[in-house]
Amino acid sequence: MELKIIYFGMIAEAISRTEEIILVPEYCDLNKLYELLKNRYKQLHKLSFTIAVDKEIPSDNKILIPKNEIALLPPFSGG
Amino acid sequence: MKKRKTVFVEGPILPSFIANSIEKHQTKTTIGAHDIFLGQVRADEIEGKKVTAIAYSAYTEMAEEKLEQIREATFASYDLTCMHIYHSLGTVKTGEICLFVFVSSAHRKVAFDALEYLVEKIKKEVPIFGKEIFADETHVWKVNKV
Repeated sequence: MELKIIYFGMIAEAISRTEEIILVPEYCDLNKLYELLKNRYKQLHKLSFTIAVDKEIPSDNKILIPKNEIALLPPFSGG
Repeated sequence: MKKRKTVFVEGPILPSFIANSIEKHQTKTTIGAHDIFLGQVRADEIEGKKVTAIAYSAYTEMAEEKLEQIREATFASYDLTCMHIYHSLGTVKTGEICLFVFVSSAHRKVAFDALEYLVEKIKKEVPIFGKEIFADETHVWKVNKV
């Protein structure tokens, strides 16, 4: 299935893109997505980030579906 | 869906905007105490280079949702008359204001406590990203201290 991923801040800069659609196996969960993205982008190994699903940071692992809005967020630095 | 309050301001938050906001509350006479937090861009020195500005970006939709949740949680915990939050997007030069949080209540203690709670939550939970820019146009990404 396809997942749309959006990237922010230093993550977007490190991988030179702000969004993309990636192909993942059916029933891909959050842990699997972390693994896939780290394999796809070596830059992510040394960067700290969290994944938001539908504008929330899930406290547990969860199965993803194509209509999820998935975002890679670097550490926050507002204020 | 209910209309969200405007939070993001393009560029710095001007002192005149803050003064105007204070003035607007003079008709609300149940208020006995205001407390204000202003975040100002600091000229940090990083590896011998001085920061001249911060360029802010945000995951705007999530940030607005998160701020709405924080507003509701704050109103539920503290007896406030009103609450306003403004944050800059784009470039804010050192010495300029990037965050304006304004709470009002009948008495001071509630205002003091609510303001601290709010500012800490905003820094920790709202997806805003600051890029510290140096005079030579290079940059580093800022990370908030917990």
